[in-house]
Amino acid sequence: MARSGADVLKITGLTAGYGPLRVLHEIDFKVAEGERVGLVGLNGHGKTTLFRAISSLVGWQSGSILLNGAEVGGARSSGPGRRTPAIVRAGLAMTPQGDAIFPGLTVAQHLDCGAYTPKAWKDRKARRDMVFDIFPPLRKLEHALVGRLSGGERRMVSVGRALMVEARLYLIDEPSLGLAPKISASVIEALFALPQDGRALVIAEQNVALLSGRVDRMVGMHAGRIRGDVGHVSLH
Amino acid sequence: MTKFYEIGQRPSEIILHPDGDAPLHRRRLPFTRRHLLKWRSRTNPKSLQQERMLADKRPLWWALGLGALAITAPFLTNASLTIAAIFCMFAAINVLWTLVIGTAGIFSLATLAIVGIGAYASAGLNVYLGLPWPLMFVAGGVAGLIVGGFLALPSTRLDGLYYALLTMGFAEICRVFVQQLKALTAANGAINNVGSFIPEDWQLQRPGLLLGFAGAFVILLLALLIFRIVNSERLGMLLQTAREDEAFAEATGIDYRRARLMVFLISSTGLGVIGAFYAQFYGSISPSIFSLDQLMLLFAMIVIGGLGRSEGAVIGTAIVVLIDKGLLGLGPLRILLVAAIMLAVTLFAHNGLVGIREQFRGWRNRKKSEARARRTEKGGEVMPEEAIEFADKQEIYYRRFQKRLRDRLKALITPELIEEHRLRPLGQHSDALNRVLNHFRRGEVADKYAIMRQPDQFHAYKIVAFSGVRGAPPRLVDDKIYDDINQAYHAVFLLRVNDLMES
Amino acid sequence: MDISVTLINGLNLAAIYGLMAIGISLLWSSVGMINMAHGATFAASGYAAWLVADATKALVLAAFGKGLLTTSLMAGITLTAGAGFGALFGALIYLLAFLPIHDKPNFPVRSLIVTLAINLATVQGLLWYFGPKQKNLPKIFGTGKLEFLGLSARYDQIGAILATAVILGLTLFWLKTSRKGLEIRAMMQNPEGAVLSGISVRWTALPVTMLTGALAGLAAILLSQTIFVSPTSGTMPLIKGLTIALLGGLGSVPGAVAGAIIIGFLEAIVGAIPFLGQRYVLFATFLFIIIVLIIRPRGLGGLLDEARK
Repeated sequence: MARSGADVLKITGLTAGYGPLRVLHEIDFKVAEGERVGLVGLNGHGKTTLFRAISSLVGWQSGSILLNGAEVGGARSSGPGRRTPAIVRAGLAMTPQGDAIFPGLTVAQHLDCGAYTPKAWKDRKARRDMVFDIFPPLRKLEHALVGRLSGGERRMVSVGRALMVEARLYLIDEPSLGLAPKISASVIEALFALPQDGRALVIAEQNVALLSGRVDRMVGMHAGRIRGDVGHVSLH
Repeated sequence: MTKFYEIGQRPSEIILHPDGDAPLHRRRLPFTRRHLLKWRSRTNPKSLQQERMLADKRPLWWALGLGALAITAPFLTNASLTIAAIFCMFAAINVLWTLVIGTAGIFSLATLAIVGIGAYASAGLNVYLGLPWPLMFVAGGVAGLIVGGFLALPSTRLDGLYYALLTMGFAEICRVFVQQLKALTAANGAINNVGSFIPEDWQLQRPGLLLGFAGAFVILLLALLIFRIVNSERLGMLLQTAREDEAFAEATGIDYRRARLMVFLISSTGLGVIGAFYAQFYGSISPSIFSLDQLMLLFAMIVIGGLGRSEGAVIGTAIVVLIDKGLLGLGPLRILLVAAIMLAVTLFAHNGLVGIREQFRGWRNRKKSEARARRTEKGGEVMPEEAIEFADKQEIYYRRFQKRLRDRLKALITPELIEEHRLRPLGQHSDALNRVLNHFRRGEVADKYAIMRQPDQFHAYKIVAFSGVRGAPPRLVDDKIYDDINQAYHAVFLLRVNDLMES
Repeated sequence: MDISVTLINGLNLAAIYGLMAIGISLLWSSVGMINMAHGATFAASGYAAWLVADATKALVLAAFGKGLLTTSLMAGITLTAGAGFGALFGALIYLLAFLPIHDKPNFPVRSLIVTLAINLATVQGLLWYFGPKQKNLPKIFGTGKLEFLGLSARYDQIGAILATAVILGLTLFWLKTSRKGLEIRAMMQNPEGAVLSGISVRWTALPVTMLTGALAGLAAILLSQTIFVSPTSGTMPLIKGLTIALLGGLGSVPGAVAGAIIIGFLEAIVGAIPFLGQRYVLFATFLFIIIVLIIRPRGLGGLLDEARK
């Protein structure tokens, strides 16, 4: 069980960057159980880097990241990606920006890759069915190569992969990037249709209109800092 | 008296102190516009004296190393002298190979094959057609050029590993071909009794060995000269751009493929000449020069030294030749030792022994910038490791003062203080609020805001922020319209407080 | 008659080279490493199998006497020893050439150099310890000839061909269907996506290196049915494996199989032509590969599937 109350994710003083470049500045950020958070902000203001820092994929980082009350952060200055599998196994499901997927696998195999826990692997068939229920267009593409799919279908596969295990925290990076408005709306729609029993969802998005009214909380990111969530003095 | 520790690079620099304002007068190398040493003139801001600093100390190291070798050679024993000569020869080969791998970026393994072909061509012409020995060098060079031209053709089409394989295959083909030659079968593919620059009756005598070493030394010097001319002049510069970004180089009109071919041809010609020298030095040439083992040993040399650097090629050659030829008593363990060194160097160094210094500096700089990136955010104070980068040290103290001032003022800001300002933006204030407001007044223009009355409206104000740049107009902070000037004053105050708390 | 010998010889060579080439190709495509120590694995596994076989031969003979049982038991022991030691050697390569440097700059070149050094060290170490004398492994398929449909083939040749087909089939089946195989293929295609799916690069690379090592070990046992085990016996298979892997397009398993078959037959044919003979075999192979590479700079791979760039 989570020790720190109902916080699925608790970040304190997270600073991260690539080489001499510092992208995130002393970030404090919390996500509670069952919460849906929208992370909005323009390109290049650190949304993706925040996600990558949570999954230990940036060049260097320091600061505490508690996932389910267990420390997965800390100071690190080399070996990006080395701790990622362990973090993923601790209950993180992240869909990276764009199509970071396996073009040579079929949709079914691709989804199986997401089922990394022994339990999920055992009933992967049922879970695949569940994903197909969420994204109906994928059902008849089950044995098609992912590299041959359209952009929207690929994004569905990518998100579906993250849904194959019982993760506690879902980080979805720019689900609408590069998609036609209609398709991106349907992807977002499917995301919000997910049951929220004990899992938390953070969606990074540039298009605020897609999220407004559907998330519990909207957090802004500006120049590597969280805005709109905390502040010393409120202006108006 | 306090002991001062020397810090920074300065104590290890070579610095001359010329008289007064004597102009920098450097001698050029004859027939070129190059200078022998890279002196840089500057004024020491502390002592206000002229000084001349040697910006590049490598020529000195080269001169020291090669000079030491040349001076000690006559006093060496016969065995050591032979080792020294072999070292010079292999170093020359490796320097030219480095030109191909490093400068041109072609991963060719045909180096020894070209040497072998140069050797066979010149030796064959000498033994069977009676070519005098001075012309053998020409013959070797021409053979190298022809083979180089043949090998260069596919180099632009194939990727690194594929080309490496192709050249390795070429070496194998050469070996088989030579062994199959009918004329040479009697000697198992070897050509013996090759004419030489070492007179017949000096062979294996002290003067002959000395002459052999002298020849090899000259060959090494020539190879280094070629490396210097090709690598750091026009061709090398062109290829430098291609190494960084091929597409960009092509877009700016640099024909890097042609430059690569040129470098390959130049190096092949040189290798052919070394081949002729090789045949003369040993007085014979055998197919083992094409063998894979020999090639691997040569590869070990440049890998240990560091790929792409001439000093790496020479240092690596020195290490491997010393182990391979100097410790003959160890038997097969020699190669084991070489392999162990190769393993250790590759695991711990990114680019061979000569790259260690750079790697250490890169590591230190990375650590430094990471630490700085973590820390500078805490208030804009100058960190000790940054201090050396400020010419005007006053700036450091100024920033430290500002930082402490801001810290003190931040502690003063409380809800009560803000409430006090909201009630009465102008007029008599408490001590704390006065201090904060005084700090705001003394700030720089770029940090300041102004209240702008809306045109054609009475009691309607907006807040603008100054750009701080002459000619650049202020920008609107937001669209909010204040209908009371006191409210506007307070809004500006809040903005400044916000800025202060975030700095 | 002559053609049948050529055919069998060609298949035999193709089988052994194929095992080597697929090991190299697989390792490149999954972990991005050119394994120059594959030849060392080959030679070292040969010696390990010889040591084990030598030690157990008397025991087995004493227990079961001369007969089919002894032969098959010895075959089992030799194959297990070879494959097992190959896998162990693969793990050693993983520890030295992959683990310390896999997320450092220049990994492909540095791992190539490290494996080259391992190769050099192993060959010299074997030479130093065992001496240059060749060793003879037990004939695991027995001795004799089989004739059918007018073809005649020695037992060891048939055994090598069949064993390779079985091993390759099993390996490819495992890669295609098992979970580890899925993880390996995922890592091949997108390392970052793989870590985000909870697949650890470090723990997936280990079975791949061990598997390729075991393949090299099996190749050593199979080839030593025809020739002997010696310290340098790994060099030729390494060169052959490497050339075939490149000919097939690095990273492409079907390409490697096709390349192995082509090269195997080419060698057998060149070896059988009277005025060329064995001495020109390597010459012809390289000439052929050079011509292919000049026409198709990325080998045959692109024709058959998508290979790693």
